[in-house]
Amino acid sequence: MKTRTYLLVWVGLIILTGITFSVAGFHPGGWAVLVALSIAGTKSGLVLSYFMHLKSEKELVFKIAIPLVLAVLLVFISLTFSDVAFR
Amino acid sequence: MSETTGFTLEGKRDYTGAKLGMWLFLLSEILLFGGMFVLYSVYRYKNPADFHHASEELDVILGTLNTLILLTSSLTMAVSISAIQKGRRKLSAFLLVATMAFGLLFLVNKGFEWTAKIDHCIYPNSPTLLTRMKGEILFFGLYYVMTGLHGLHVLVGVGVLSVMLILLLKEKINQNHFTALENSGLYWHLVDIIWIFLYPLFYLIT
Repeated sequence: MKTRTYLLVWVGLIILTGITFSVAGFHPGGWAVLVALSIAGTKSGLVLSYFMHLKSEKELVFKIAIPLVLAVLLVFISLTFSDVAFR
Repeated sequence: MSETTGFTLEGKRDYTGAKLGMWLFLLSEILLFGGMFVLYSVYRYKNPADFHHASEELDVILGTLNTLILLTSSLTMAVSISAIQKGRRKLSAFLLVATMAFGLLFLVNKGFEWTAKIDHCIYPNSPTLLTRMKGEILFFGLYYVMTGLHGLHVLVGVGVLSVMLILLLKEKINQNHFTALENSGLYWHLVDIIWIFLYPLFYLIT
């Protein structure tokens, strides 16, 4: 991958960090966590796709194994929360 | 053949296998930290006010600075790998040293942060902390465990990268064989991703 691409990704990551930092001061109520987590998710997506080369990975196994583990984590989180919320 | 599958018999190297092995390890790390994030979320859900108050005591500026440091170290790591792929060994080694320096700088900041907290008598099971609200005790417990485990990962990362630097200087890692460096990079980036989540969850609770 080109150095220019990496630099652009880095600039994007820094800008997103700035957004998380400034949004945190606004107190948008219950949305704050959601906003912070979606920005963190976007940043992780950038790191995974470009720095960790998942975007250019051609083997099928990578395209299956990684979303699978993330799905397990999601099930894990949602089951825990449905338990805690309705106890 | 080797072009399409990344597998050669002569050299007995299996790049895809090596990378897949690294990814399996990283996925287990994701589940390890994932479990801790679930624990954090449940406690925060149950004690929102305490978490908010405790979070305000953390040094946001230092946390943000550490985020920028770690993101930049990921950039130098990624460019170091692409440099060796182009055969530019010196540039690659320089960027690798820069990555390690950023990692150490991160740990130094973390050290300052922890020392400041410990000076205020806030550490797990400290008499001062135990007199506070239940949620605040939980927050600082999670803060020490999660940033501590993350810091340990950064330290291990610096160790792994210094081995890579030696291999790079000995030309064991070169334009044709760079999988070890690539895999170390994957680890480094994952540690960065974990921090990307730790940062808003600990420092920026509104």
